[in-house]
Amino acid sequence: MGNKQTIFTDEQLDAYQDCTFFTRKEILRLHARYHELAPHLVPMDYTNDPECKLPLALIVNMPELNENPFRSRIVESFSEDGMGNLSFNEFVDMFSVLSEMAPRELKAIYAFKIYDFNVDNYLCKEDLEKTLNKLTKEELTPEEVELVCEKTIEEADLDGDHKLSFADFENMISRAPDFLSTFHIRI
Amino acid sequence: MSDNLCEERRLVVVKEEVQGGEKMEEHRTVNFMRLLSDESTHSTLSEDSCEYYQTEIFDQLPSIQACRPGQCTQGFLEVCEAKQDNTEPGEKLRNRHLSRGSRDKEPMQPLRNLALCIQAKRSARIQRKMQISNIGFWESWRRSQSINRRRVWEQMGGALSGILPWQHMLHAIEGRFGVGVKAYFVFLRYLIYLNLLHCALVWGFILGPTVFHGRSNGSEPLRFGGNDSILDFFLGKGYVDRSPVFYGFYTRGSLNLSCLNTPLLYLTGILTILFLSLIMVVRRTTVGFKHRWMLGKRYSMNVSYKIFCGWDFTILDPAAATLKHSFIRNDLKLFLEEQSFSLREAQRTLGQKVRLYLLRLILNVLVLSLLGGAFYLIFYATETSLYESGHHWLVSLFLQYLAPITIAFVNLLLPHVFRKISSFEDYSFTMQVNTTLVRSIFLKLASLGIYLFFLFKTTKERQQRHCRENQFGREVYKLCIFNFLATFCTAFLLNYPRKLVQEKYPTSLLSRLSGKQHFLIPFNVLDLVYSQTVSWVGIYYCPLLPLIGTVTLVATFYIKKFTVLRCCVAEDRMFRASTSSVLFHFMLLLGLIMAATTVGVDLYQQDATLNRMCSCGPFGNGETVFNVAGVCVNSLPRLARSTLSYLASEAFALPLILAEIIILTSYVSRGRANQKAIERLKDMLVMSSSDKRFLVKQHTTLLRRRRDKCRARAEAVGEDSVVSG
Repeated sequence: MGNKQTIFTDEQLDAYQDCTFFTRKEILRLHARYHELAPHLVPMDYTNDPECKLPLALIVNMPELNENPFRSRIVESFSEDGMGNLSFNEFVDMFSVLSEMAPRELKAIYAFKIYDFNVDNYLCKEDLEKTLNKLTKEELTPEEVELVCEKTIEEADLDGDHKLSFADFENMISRAPDFLSTFHIRI
Repeated sequence: MSDNLCEERRLVVVKEEVQGGEKMEEHRTVNFMRLLSDESTHSTLSEDSCEYYQTEIFDQLPSIQACRPGQCTQGFLEVCEAKQDNTEPGEKLRNRHLSRGSRDKEPMQPLRNLALCIQAKRSARIQRKMQISNIGFWESWRRSQSINRRRVWEQMGGALSGILPWQHMLHAIEGRFGVGVKAYFVFLRYLIYLNLLHCALVWGFILGPTVFHGRSNGSEPLRFGGNDSILDFFLGKGYVDRSPVFYGFYTRGSLNLSCLNTPLLYLTGILTILFLSLIMVVRRTTVGFKHRWMLGKRYSMNVSYKIFCGWDFTILDPAAATLKHSFIRNDLKLFLEEQSFSLREAQRTLGQKVRLYLLRLILNVLVLSLLGGAFYLIFYATETSLYESGHHWLVSLFLQYLAPITIAFVNLLLPHVFRKISSFEDYSFTMQVNTTLVRSIFLKLASLGIYLFFLFKTTKERQQRHCRENQFGREVYKLCIFNFLATFCTAFLLNYPRKLVQEKYPTSLLSRLSGKQHFLIPFNVLDLVYSQTVSWVGIYYCPLLPLIGTVTLVATFYIKKFTVLRCCVAEDRMFRASTSSVLFHFMLLLGLIMAATTVGVDLYQQDATLNRMCSCGPFGNGETVFNVAGVCVNSLPRLARSTLSYLASEAFALPLILAEIIILTSYVSRGRANQKAIERLKDMLVMSSSDKRFLVKQHTTLLRRRRDKCRARAEAVGEDSVVSG
């Protein structure tokens, strides 16, 4: 169609279109954003799938993520190595899941991962305390934090093990009226 | 036994990505040895939590396998392929997903919706493409069509949301003041849409036919002459009295068929408007109300929602982020405060309770007396304004507007008094807001109702020279105009100067007394609901009221935007919309009922005044609703006539009521049965989960015991051989 871009092959762009919620133009725009984070590291030619990962520190400084208290956790949960180093694939994946078009089930899976600070597939009390402290910038007293976490577990825990498994979390979030409207990032 | 060991080792390898396998196991054995000394055969919920999730069998549980989202590592493929060396390549591809728990379960589900990393999605895509070549032309065409359709739909949705007016403004307001204030403006916009819809209906049913088919021969043409002046626009007399604004303009013109004539169209139009408004209000009420009511208090997820859906990921601005943090913090503090309040409430002694109830009784009596005083004031003002005559035009203007002025003054002042009173009654914050709201709603609706009632009585008594319906419409018109004027004046004569005083002289007595200005959401929403109620009540007598309403609402939008952005500071306490929104919708419904009642009473009254010399409007000249409707029904074919008469008779009404009762009962009992089922299922879930934990723990214990025995025996054999060798 007369596309002059040489960054991706057509096959790659088609694959991206099918695997994410982005169109070709948006993929190219994302690549431009990825590139400007580290112009010396990111190659302009992705036709042969180069191995290039950007560190956590660069990605969390993006304006879309900068004000988010969970920015480190978001980037970590989309990175393969769990340390927050994102390749371009993971970068695109992250913004695809967080885009407005992603369905609720998909977002719930990744929201669970984000809030699971110790990566044990359960939201235990420590995870909730960390979440709460990040949300309130540690302005609640420890007793108040304790009370709120207990109330949360009491509300959402279905199987009585005092932790939130993914089933508990999904059951709770499926009825949240504003989950979809708050859990998205526009890029 | 050896199989088990092999399997465990395999799992360890897969999970820990090939570390010193033996070392890992020994390390873990040591842990378990320590824990085993505390073993018990009962499964306690808190003690076994750490060992439960470290057991080997835990990873094999089907429930755990199913909910592990796909994580792909680079060495993943090799590891998995090494294990399944007895499977075919095709199976390998499928098993890769299987062993990680995430399957391409539904081939029809779009790839993007799968919770896999892009590598896995790409492979799934290749796999699907291979399938597609086997599927054939039709299926692949269908799939590509559904993809295209979805893309087009998404684009349309995006374009539509961009069209909505004032989106940017609302976004800016939300960023600075939070969701509650934005909800007010969204409600305002919704009312504008509603009024525009009413305008369209008025045009279609009432104004349009009159414009195209003309009015009766005896009506005067509309010209600005003689005694008309600008004051007419404020008083509703003279020029405006003869204009399409009021009921008296619409007389039976050339459109004179038996079923299609001006009176019938007028009535149908008004009834359609009221009915449509009823449907929209009911729909709006039930949409928000449904979930909460169904689940009941036990399943309310308030705190969980606050924590997990509390942060808005779209925030880019540092100031908005700080505001959001403080909102969340204040919301949680409010929740904690209510918890401690309910604790305190439960701990009240009998003496304290008696004193509190006495205080509440006194305050309620005070509220009732205030209300009574307000109603008397309104009655007095109505009497004065209706019986005034022969003054200077300025005094006359003031006296004509006396009733609206009194009503507006009372509605402005008393809610704040109620707010102050409710702070003494020792309720929780939400309860305070709701009590104030209930009292204010009662005040506004009752004052409107009393005003209309006295109007009715006095206009009936006096046997007006002019058209009675026009008189009524004139009063409602004045009320609407004055409400808008009051909004305008409060913004520019009260809020803005107050803000200036706060800025220029922050330490003066005045600014310390008045305090910082907040945008009080409940009172503002109440004002909106009240103006919409007035609009509904008056629509029969003043068909162009929706048009006036639209214009005033648009102006109110900009005035309130000015007030919020320039004069107010963001409030600390967040306004909890849930129960209050039910109250607002209830007030809307009550307003509709009041409107329907006034229309009904007026139509019924037409019979009694059959021989008035001053009849006007579509139902003048000795016609009543029943006459006109009767003429229409008689002109219908026989079948339709008999059906209509059957529908209107008792023989139809009674079975209908019976059927409704039966249907309602079945729904209620079904709802109750569902709730019971939910309770039972929840208990079952807790039970089976603790069963699972118990069994896993038992299994691990037995396994460990066996392995230790094995090891102890092997060591003993080894020692013997060392000793003997």
